[in-house]
Amino acid sequence: MYKKIDLSMEFLGICLENPFILSAAPPTDEFDIAYNGLKAGWGGIILKTTSVEGNSVPLKYPMMSSFGSMSRKVIGLGNIDLISGYQIDEIEKRVKTLKEVFPEKMIGASIMGTKKEDWQTLVWRLKKAGVDLIECSFSCPQGSMGEEAGRMLAQSIEATEKVARWVKEAAEDTPVLIKITPQVTDIVEVAKAVKRGGADGITASNTIPSLLGIDINTFEPYPSLFGKGAYSGLSGPAIKPITLRTIAEIAKNVDITISGNGGAFNWRDAVEFMAVGASNVQFCTLPMHYGFRTIEDLKRGFAHYLSDMGFNSPLDIVGKALPNIKSQDELPSPKTLAELVEEKCVGCGLCYLACFDGGHMAIDWDSEKRVPHFDEEKCVGCAMCMQICPVDAIKMKEKIEGSNSVYYFVEKR
Amino acid sequence: MEEIEKTFSKEQAAIEAERCLYCYDAPCETACPAHVPIAEFIQSIRTDNLKGAREIIQEAHPLIETCGRICPEESFCQSACTRIKMDTPIKIRELHRYITDNTDPSENLELVPATRGKIAIVGGGPAGLTCARELRRFGYQPVVFEKKQLGGVPANEISATRLPEEIEKKEARFVHHNFVSEIKDTTIKSLEELDKEYSAIFISTGLPGELNLDIPGSNLDGVYYSRELLKRAKSGAKLPHFKRVGVIGGGNVAVEVASVLKIEDPLRDVEVIYRRGTKELKAFKKEIEEAIEVGVTFQLLAIPKKIEGDKRVEGLVVTRAYLGEKDPSGRRNPVPIPNSDFVIPLDAVVIAIGQKADVYFPKVERDAKGLVKVSDGLMTNVKGVFAGGDIVRGASTVVECVADGKKAAQNIAKYLEGGKNV
Repeated sequence: MYKKIDLSMEFLGICLENPFILSAAPPTDEFDIAYNGLKAGWGGIILKTTSVEGNSVPLKYPMMSSFGSMSRKVIGLGNIDLISGYQIDEIEKRVKTLKEVFPEKMIGASIMGTKKEDWQTLVWRLKKAGVDLIECSFSCPQGSMGEEAGRMLAQSIEATEKVARWVKEAAEDTPVLIKITPQVTDIVEVAKAVKRGGADGITASNTIPSLLGIDINTFEPYPSLFGKGAYSGLSGPAIKPITLRTIAEIAKNVDITISGNGGAFNWRDAVEFMAVGASNVQFCTLPMHYGFRTIEDLKRGFAHYLSDMGFNSPLDIVGKALPNIKSQDELPSPKTLAELVEEKCVGCGLCYLACFDGGHMAIDWDSEKRVPHFDEEKCVGCAMCMQICPVDAIKMKEKIEGSNSVYYFVEKR
Repeated sequence: MEEIEKTFSKEQAAIEAERCLYCYDAPCETACPAHVPIAEFIQSIRTDNLKGAREIIQEAHPLIETCGRICPEESFCQSACTRIKMDTPIKIRELHRYITDNTDPSENLELVPATRGKIAIVGGGPAGLTCARELRRFGYQPVVFEKKQLGGVPANEISATRLPEEIEKKEARFVHHNFVSEIKDTTIKSLEELDKEYSAIFISTGLPGELNLDIPGSNLDGVYYSRELLKRAKSGAKLPHFKRVGVIGGGNVAVEVASVLKIEDPLRDVEVIYRRGTKELKAFKKEIEEAIEVGVTFQLLAIPKKIEGDKRVEGLVVTRAYLGEKDPSGRRNPVPIPNSDFVIPLDAVVIAIGQKADVYFPKVERDAKGLVKVSDGLMTNVKGVFAGGDIVRGASTVVECVADGKKAAQNIAKYLEGGKNV
């Protein structure tokens, strides 16, 4: 009964029905699952990373672990997964079939190799099968193949450029994305290397090397396999701020297309990823947690956002926030003060405590009326009280020296 | 008998604890008569530190398993919850119960030697036991006089469907073993019976008597008093065999006895008959809800006039009423409607209209209702004699009696240290 939502957009010459893509991960590792994901309405898919025949993939289970509060278990999801156990002979068949069934959808595939010959063979065979896009995993935290053992390919500037060049040479006009890791000293240098290598874009970024937790009774790491564990790749809402920074830094410094990945959990996150420079957003932890049905809210929420804001296409928001991202020393120095919105205050006293024990002792507490009073002499405007207020009853008021205009900065949580 | 309310699961507790704002100077704690550090124990639930949470509660209150089940939270802590201004208050009692149901009493106790004087505590209910524990913590030797099962009303009368027998007894025993110097199985009726051995006296006898209903027919066979039935039920004895019973009253005891009767025999018709309306019922919301759930019915705005019958109860004549002006307590008074009498056929009537004090301790001053008069520090007109709990307040709650026990102990210590004992 509602009008069809049009979120279609162009991405590296491919027509995407919507900017939400299933990333190279477990939800794209079985043919039937991948099929169901596309059928549910996701805009495209990148099949889980494959390799040449004969390459061994020693998967170990359990491979998943998570952390979160007692009532919300998954804030971050960690895995010790590897690339797909299915090799190119199987993947090329799937690409062909999926392309036949879903000609309108983007069918991509992720690859990983050691030698030049492997990388290029993978590309040629996928191209022949009709793949729309090739993504190269330079950043699986559980170890890349080839080059330097134990290191992720994207941690080496030289290797990144060299392999990107091999792949693009074979791919010719088929778009190539290089999936990188945020775990580097200078993400901009890596992005530049990708560009020099000739790849069309960057997937920013992969899971982040992490240690999910330690069982405090047995001292086993999570996930535990007979009492032993390894570092794992972290995904989910926990890594969103890191991904945002990664995308923004690349987008501000290198002229290259970006596919956002890592920590987006809803349409709002997707808007943020795109606002800092991603052209589309890949998802994995969200469908793994709540299923492919989540695409409905993604599409609808995103569409309403675009129309409420007066945008015509998803591409209109790409990079919108970038001009506002500065380095700390470039920021203005306003006089900032906290201000209470009295009708909203419920009197929990958390702002008082935060300022008294962790701020500048600038809030007095009226214990009779249970209301905080801000001391304008002592308040430096750090905004800690605003962060912890459960009902958004504190605003920060800013004024530039010598100017009459007062500005309230926005922050919605 | 099985308990009606189930304890929270770990998941329920986690979600509810997460909702707590962890207020500074938390208003719930101020609203709790025993000042249980609620915000702190909820924080410990969030970190799954249940032993620590138990110690926090146990420090403030000796009868926490009891209160975790029967405390009317909506009248105390919950009524002050900040979350009310946002959505709904935290289920504080349920979280409290989650802790006590999942931990054992902490034996991690360190007490000063009991080198100070003996204090006589007359009555081993919530007020008396609390006072004893607090006095022992200050180094006094509390001696409790109690003829019945330790624990008072909760242990002896509150239905096992709300408070299993072993819970209160276990808590009373814990206080006995760790804090009470001696239990004496004697009834004390005058101050003179307590010899010079005792430095101070705390009267916490509660209200052992019941108010009579002065209407014709109240001496017929089949007329019972609520608390004797509750005591019999709690002790495990069978209740008299009757099929259609009316319980006269609107307080917690009336609703409680009605539930007990209905649960014991679901084929039995049990009706609470009350002079005023729903809003005027003094019983706590949770108890009323549980009574309705088990099938108790309510005949409201019906003033008992006469119990009918030859030798045995055959029915109750009531006059229909409407609600008139408010009385001094703020509740609207029932006004009889002329010519509106009708008969409720019954084979038993249970009277549950209130409790009264025994008139012991002639030297101690009392008010018109027989309740002991005390100062702000809970001292009676007789120097060194303190009183607290229901004998001072009238029928009240466990947590208020606990608060009295704590306050009395502090004031006894203050009195003795400033006076003859130190």
